[in-house]
Formats: sequence, structure tokens, C-alpha cells
Amino acid sequence: MSAALGAERPQVVSHVQQALSYTVFDCKWVPRSARLLCLGSAARGTGVLQLYELSGARLRLLREIEKPKPIKCGTFGATSLQQRYLATGDFDGNLNIWNLEAPEIPVYSVKGHKEIINSIDGVGGLGIGEGAPEIVTGSRDGTVKVWDPRQNEIPVANMESVQGESKRDCWTVAFGNAYNLEERVVCAGYDNGDIKLFDLKTMSLRWETNIKNGVCSVEFDRKDINMNKLVATSLEGKFHVFDMRTQHPTKGFAYVSEKAQKSTIWQVRHLPQNRDIFMTSGGSGSLHLWKYEYPAQRSKKDSEGCEMGVAGSLSLLQNVTLSTQPISSLDWSPDKTGLCVCGAYDQTVRVLIVTKLNKI
Amino acid sequence: MPVWLREHSWRQTPTAVYLSLPLRGARATPANIFCSERYLKVSIPPFLFEAVLYAPIDDTNSTAKIGNGNIFFTLYKKEPALWDSLTLASADKEQLQYLRENAVLKAQEKAKEETEAKKITKQEHKKYALEATMKLEEAERKRIEALKEKERQKVAKELELWKNQQKDGDKYKSIQKKEELHQEIEPLKERKNEKMNKTRIPNEGSSKTRLKSTRGHGSCSIFSQKLKEEQLPAPRAPATIKVNFTPRVFPTALRESRVAEEEEWLHKQAEARRIINSDLAELEDLKEEEKNPDWLKDKGNKMFAMGDYLGAVNAYNLAVRLNNKLPLLYLNRAACHLKLRNLHKAIEDSSKALELLTPPVPDNENARLKAHVRRGTAFCQLELYTEGLQDYEAALKIDPRNKILEKDAEKIRHLIQGTMQSS
Repeated sequence: MSAALGAERPQVVSHVQQALSYTVFDCKWVPRSARLLCLGSAARGTGVLQLYELSGARLRLLREIEKPKPIKCGTFGATSLQQRYLATGDFDGNLNIWNLEAPEIPVYSVKGHKEIINSIDGVGGLGIGEGAPEIVTGSRDGTVKVWDPRQNEIPVANMESVQGESKRDCWTVAFGNAYNLEERVVCAGYDNGDIKLFDLKTMSLRWETNIKNGVCSVEFDRKDINMNKLVATSLEGKFHVFDMRTQHPTKGFAYVSEKAQKSTIWQVRHLPQNRDIFMTSGGSGSLHLWKYEYPAQRSKKDSEGCEMGVAGSLSLLQNVTLSTQPISSLDWSPDKTGLCVCGAYDQTVRVLIVTKLNKI
Repeated sequence: MPVWLREHSWRQTPTAVYLSLPLRGARATPANIFCSERYLKVSIPPFLFEAVLYAPIDDTNSTAKIGNGNIFFTLYKKEPALWDSLTLASADKEQLQYLRENAVLKAQEKAKEETEAKKITKQEHKKYALEATMKLEEAERKRIEALKEKERQKVAKELELWKNQQKDGDKYKSIQKKEELHQEIEPLKERKNEKMNKTRIPNEGSSKTRLKSTRGHGSCSIFSQKLKEEQLPAPRAPATIKVNFTPRVFPTALRESRVAEEEEWLHKQAEARRIINSDLAELEDLKEEEKNPDWLKDKGNKMFAMGDYLGAVNAYNLAVRLNNKLPLLYLNRAACHLKLRNLHKAIEDSSKALELLTPPVPDNENARLKAHVRRGTAFCQLELYTEGLQDYEAALKIDPRNKILEKDAEKIRHLIQGTMQSS
């Protein structure tokens, strides 16, 4: 635990800790409520979905749902606020959308990939942004597929390797740049350090780079605005923050990188209420809270007169060690500033409150 | 023989004895004075003073003052009594000896006890210090914990408040929506009734369906939902984007810290492949085992033993081409060359063998010895006796007990001296 208690620094307070009897891979807040969802894999190889409610100083289990295959990831990003359907990806490559009130039969189901779906993201739902709701899944079979819940079986976009070439596992996907009906961008991170940015409007590769370490997690600071910042975390304790407003034809996007700790950085999540604050979770069970500061000028001209971006700087607001095992999933509550849930591989899910965020 | 100091003077009180000892010019330090309960000795070589005391004294409290060429003893008696004399006059040699030894032993014991007592006190002090620091740290920690606890409680209360607000907010919203819905449905119903009387208008149909849909689902939001759906764009046309990945040989994820190791591994693999493939044309007609450097080495050894030196050299040559990092190959080839009187080649090969046999460790002693001997022999046969001697000496350094080596080294030395003399 961090010993420094500067009067104005945000504090990470552990509110509730819940021991689980299964490995939790993902935890998500149910939007517009004080309920949270834990997804994981039970010891007997089946998938588990648990719905908890935050009541007082404990988590009350509301529902437990068991599925035949372990579930790796889930998102509420592509549903409306009234329906609140959960989209999940499981170990078998199936994408399912569930109505949690009637979870026996999925609302939408497709065997999208040949191998485990490592990461899932949704856009267009929850009253955020415009455009059709879409779900993107990234899988170990090296492909990234975008699905529309209104269209069965066939993905709307498929990013796969050229025929005959080797493939790399896709570890993470994220939507961004969804500021009007047509624009959408998908960012995918792979295990060989590649980050690729696909533009769905033009159906082409917009940018790619390699950050020399497998990419564990990518996230745009906001999905529904003109792309502003992208954080990509990787193995070996490094993460990069790219300034996405200015793309140079050869140099790509400007970035600042930070080496936070010796272990892998598993997740990055931006605070829904302030897009310059984000939290990274590490393999040593620690959480770091960062703030990005913009430079005086976000772009400058290089020697040939092309615009290139200028990266800002990062400052560490707080760090705390909660567990001895990696914290693999992290989610901020969109409704209450500073409330977040994290799930770690020591089979516990923790609800944390980060204080004083409105003073930053 | 020590010089006895006998000119001492003393006086006594019932509790103490005062002894004054002139030192005749010698310098005294506390180390020269030895005192126990019944025995007092001052030894400043070559001077010596000893006294077996009449009665026991308290030697811890007694003092000795050194100064002015004099030692002044203040001895406190154990039992207050007046002594007849300072020393026990009737003591004979044996008793004296016994008393002396006893005294020494006692002094040693005392010293031991003192050190132990000191140790114990030291430990206790340490413990105390440790406990004190621990208490301080504990207090600090408690203070921090208390602060955190306060913070936590504050935050928990806020959370509860927010949750309750949420619940109330939700209820309020749902009530509001129901009201709105009723309000909207009412005029529609009225209109419907009106229009029923008139001719059918398409609006009716749509209003009917609208009503139906709300009744069917019972949820208030489908209204807005439907409207929104009509505004959503159609699903995209399916398309595929082809990607190329940064090439990576290994199936594992890329880690910066492992890159160096991976490069090394790949390099070694490439080396091995190159060697195997380089002479592919010539090696095609050889059997599988004939491509194994070890097998070739054995073959070479056998041929050497049988006297077929040229054959052995050939075998070793092929083996070296396949794997040029085995020192034994060069070593054995050097022996062959010696027999064949290819002295320069012998020297080359033994040198190469020695190079490969770094670092010099006991394990490759044998091999290095042989290498030196062979090179030495070659040098001598070329009449480069000094170099030969150097090698022989190196060999002797490795194995100093080898008689043959010594004899040969001697011979060479004689030869050198002989040539020097003659020239």
C-alpha cells in the first residue's frame, strides 16, 4: 500500500473484496445501476456469469449463470440502455449476446472464430455516440472481426492475414473515432507487438506500428469523439500513449511511453468522466493511476513541412498494490466517478473507490 | 632470571592495605599488574615483584596508581583484620606454585564472566532499542490506517447516498415515462375514434400498430427505440481487410528482454545449417555416419593406431570441415603430422588445439599437455630448440611429475647450451 498521503492526491480505497470460486477473466459494471457482472471459468471447465449488487459493505449475489464454455470477455458497449444485453466471447470462439433476464438462450450467437476470443468491444450503444451498434472481437486465430447484431453469421468486417502468411494472436481490440454515422476505427494489438488501426469507413488499414513487446491492452480515451489519444500497454511493464490527432505520413502518430513496473501491464482503462486520467493494472497486482498532460502545441511542422504530432507528458497520481496475482480486468463505473471494479487471478473481485478525482 | 623488586613498603588499616612499590626506573602499564584474591604480581621484564598475600583481598575494588616511578596499591581486605605481615612467610615452593596457578585460573574465570555479563547487557540494550523502534513504527502505521479508514467510511457513505439517489431516480423516471405514455396514448385513442367514423386513412393503420407494439411489450421505451432504429444506418457490407504481420520466427509473444537470446539462438541454428549444407555436393555420396565428426575422429584414431597416418589425416580433415570447434581433432591431427614429419602442419594444429582449449582448467589438462608436447617435439625437430623448450616447460608446468618430460627438457637445454657454446 502506498504510504504517501499527500493531502490532495487521489486515494484508492478498497471498498469491498469478494472471494470467488472460479477464475474471473472479466468484470463489468451494468450501466445505470450499482450492479456488476463477473465472467470467468469454473474449475470444471464451464463458463460462469455472476451478477452482484453492491449493498452496503458487501456484494450480494443476485444471479449465477453457467454456460458450457468458459467465458473470456464481455461488453455492454453495443446495447441500448433499456435492453442492456451483454455480449460475450468465450474460449471456443463463440460470440453470444445475452439478455440477462432470460439467459438460457442467447439473443444472438455465432461461432465467429476458430480459437479463443481474447478481447471484445462494443460501440454505438448505451446512448453514447452515433451509428449502428457493432461488436468487434479479436481472437487467437489472428483475425479481428466486426459484427452487427442485426446480421447473422457473417461479420461486417474481417481483418485477417494474407493467405499463406503466418498469423499472430490478437490480444486486444478497441473501437474509436465513432463520432458520426459513418466513421469508425478499430485498433487491434497483437502478441508480436503489432498495433494496427483499421478504418471501417474505407475498409482499409490506416496505420500500423510495432512496439517491440506483445500488446496486452489498447483503449481510446473516448470511443465517440474524433480520435484523441490511444493507450497501448504491453509486456515488460511498458505502455505507450499515442496522440491520435495528427498522423504523419511516415512517422505515424507521436507517442510518449512509460515503464511503470517490471511486470506485464494487463489492462488500461480511461476514466469515463475525465478522458485524461487512466488506470493501468499490472501483473504484480498493482494499480497505477496516471494523468496525461497535453503539450503546449499538439502539432508542429517537420523539416518537409508535414504536420506531425507532439506527445505530452504523463504523471503518476497514485499507485497501490492490492494483490499478489495479476489484475487482469478493470472497469470504471460510468455512473459514479471513481468507482471501479477489478478482478484478479487470485479469484477475487474488488470494488475500489478512487477519491478526489474531481479535484484534478 | 628476573630481578626481584624487594624494596617495597606498606602500611595497613583494619580494612585496607597500602603498598608502595618503587620501580627502579622501569615504566609500568596496567598490563604489567596481575592481581587476584590472594596473589599480587607486577612483572616488568626484567623486574618482577610477587606477593602471596596474608589474607584474601577484594581485587575488584582494589586500585593501583602508577606514577612517579612508583606503584601505589590500595588493597581492600575481605575481612577486616590486622595482618601480621604482607605476605605469607611460611609459604613453601609448592604452595606458592599452587597459589599462583589458582590465581591465574581465577583471574581467567573472572574475565570470562565479565565478558558474558557484558554480552548479556548488550543484547538487552539491543532488544530494547528494537522494541522502541517497533513501537514507533507501529504507531505510525496505526495513524496511517486510521486516516485511510476515515477516508473509506466517508466514501462508503457517499456511495450509499448515490445508490439511493439512483434508485429513487429510476423510480421517478419510470413513473414519469408511464405518465407520458398515457398522455400520448390518450390523444391517439381519441383520434382513432374520430377517424373510425371517417374513411380509412393510412395514419390509422400506423397508429394502430404503434398502440399494439406498446401494449405487446409493456415497456415504455420501445416508442423511442423504434424511432431510433429507423434512423440507424443499415449494417455495413461485409468486407475483408488483409493484414501483414511483422515477421517473427518464434510462436511466443515478443518480449524485448528476450530478443538478445533469440537472436543468438537463431544465429547458432543458421551456423549449423550452413555447415551441413555447405559441402552438400561432395558429402552426398558419404554414408550418414560418415558425416558425424565423432565417428570420423574414432576412425582416424584407429587408422593412427594401425599406422595408416595419411588415412587418419584425411579422416580428421573431413571431421574438421564439419565441426571446426573440437580441439581433439586438431590434437590428433598434429600427432599424425608429427609421424609424417609435416612439422609445420603439426605446429599449426597443436596451436589451434591449444587455442580451442582455453580456458585452462584441470579438465583439459591432459589435452593441453599433449598439445604442448607435440608442438615442442615439432619445434625441436625443426631445430628451433628455444621454442621447443618453452613448450616443454609449459608441459612440465601442467604436469611437474612426468619424468620423461623432465628428461627431454634437460636434453633440449643441453642442446641449446651446446649450440650456444659452439657458436
